[in-house]
Amino acid sequence: MRIEFRLPSLGADMESATLTEWLKQPGDRFAHGEPIVTVETTKGLIDVEAYQDGQIADLVVAPGTKVPVGAVLAHLTVADSDQTAAPVSSGAGVAPPQATEAGEPIASAGPVEAPPASTSTVTATPPPATGRARLSPAARRRAEELGLSPASLEQAGPATILHVADVERLAAARSAAAGGSAAPADPRAAMRAAIGAAMARAKREIPHYYLGLDVDYGAARDWLARTNARVPVQERLIDAVLITKAIALAAARIDGFNGAFRDGRFEPAHAVHAGVAIALRGGGLVAPALLDADRKDLPALMRDFSALVTRVRAGRMRSGEFSAATITVTSLGAEGADVLYPIINPPQVAIVGAGAIREQPAVRDGQIAIRPILTLALAADHRVTDGRAGSRFLRAIADLLQHPDKL
Amino acid sequence: MEPTEIQAKLLELLTRIAPDIDPRSVVADRDFRDQFDFDSMDALHFAVAVSEAFGIPVADTDYGKLASLRSAVDFVQGGLTRKA
Repeated sequence: MRIEFRLPSLGADMESATLTEWLKQPGDRFAHGEPIVTVETTKGLIDVEAYQDGQIADLVVAPGTKVPVGAVLAHLTVADSDQTAAPVSSGAGVAPPQATEAGEPIASAGPVEAPPASTSTVTATPPPATGRARLSPAARRRAEELGLSPASLEQAGPATILHVADVERLAAARSAAAGGSAAPADPRAAMRAAIGAAMARAKREIPHYYLGLDVDYGAARDWLARTNARVPVQERLIDAVLITKAIALAAARIDGFNGAFRDGRFEPAHAVHAGVAIALRGGGLVAPALLDADRKDLPALMRDFSALVTRVRAGRMRSGEFSAATITVTSLGAEGADVLYPIINPPQVAIVGAGAIREQPAVRDGQIAIRPILTLALAADHRVTDGRAGSRFLRAIADLLQHPDKL
Repeated sequence: MEPTEIQAKLLELLTRIAPDIDPRSVVADRDFRDQFDFDSMDALHFAVAVSEAFGIPVADTDYGKLASLRSAVDFVQGGLTRKA
């Protein structure tokens, strides 16, 4: 059966993307979850994955073309029995959530030598090169400032990572050859505009309500310190993983916070895919998902989180993690403000903001004590739940954080 | 290992874990957090990279010593001396 392969929506802040490279050619077979095409969005490069097994019939859109969400990119040949999985809307045509493999392949590309293979929990390596030059995110920014198309540079070289200095060298060479340069673009402004549009829509369409709760983080902090002291640096956990796991478990237990609001009604999700907001240097943020966050143990969740941040920092992400989130967690880190009042990421119906964990006076067993306090702020959709359910949800998260060994 | 060698290697590691940073822009005595919005995952990735590249242990309580390029050079020098 021949079906259309469309550009999926990879987040509420995405309206279009520029096709940068076909990873498969007509006649090539692909498996479910395999990347088919790379597109450039305001978030960076995203590999769009296949949502089922099949074969490329023909390509419709050429590299370098900017297309809107929902545009037909290619035609695919798939087994007839998969008819029900055929994409019909702009949001379809993307790999449904699936467990990501724990160990990322170690990249051997680039001027930096690959680290030795190990059983590390945390692999701080960029994604593998696929047979041609790639720009580092800093280099990509510089190329755009210099008015060079990143795609043209990427096709120029062998399979290495190009850094800022390489881009400047190539720019100088081209400028010497051609004379003059094109008008520079501003990718940060484009990302800011995309976030603005998505958040304006969220505030316009979703009747937010807000609740806050101060959580005693002492038990979690002590458990984390003890656990981390026992293991090598590669196997250590961070606060964000504990907090995300607690939120994911609470979302699985308390109805009304995990899912999507579409066509006038709430569709609960069966799995918890926790979107995690990751700030980008130079401004902006992305919120890809940690799949099945409620079912993974802390080391597995940490591995996924680490790999996700590595992909985001390298500017090369996967479509599945951008269309999957069923709830979002956003955290300001140690130096942030005490409370973060978040805005829901449509079509989700809830988001939890975690402020900085700080020492402050708290009443404990009738006495004033200095405790590490984490303030959680919930923004939820009033079309689905109200403050009573929201309070239950927040209290469930707080209770889970009192028993970190059970997370 | 000379401090300049250590510094060059640290910059290489920094570029590997954070390819969105231009290594030439690093100010040696400014915290990565102030300079590059380093978050806790970046800090951990850097600690892992340092530990593996130099073969020295990095305790959970040592991350603060890797907060800037200058302090990281001192930390690695100390670690290598203890190892020798």
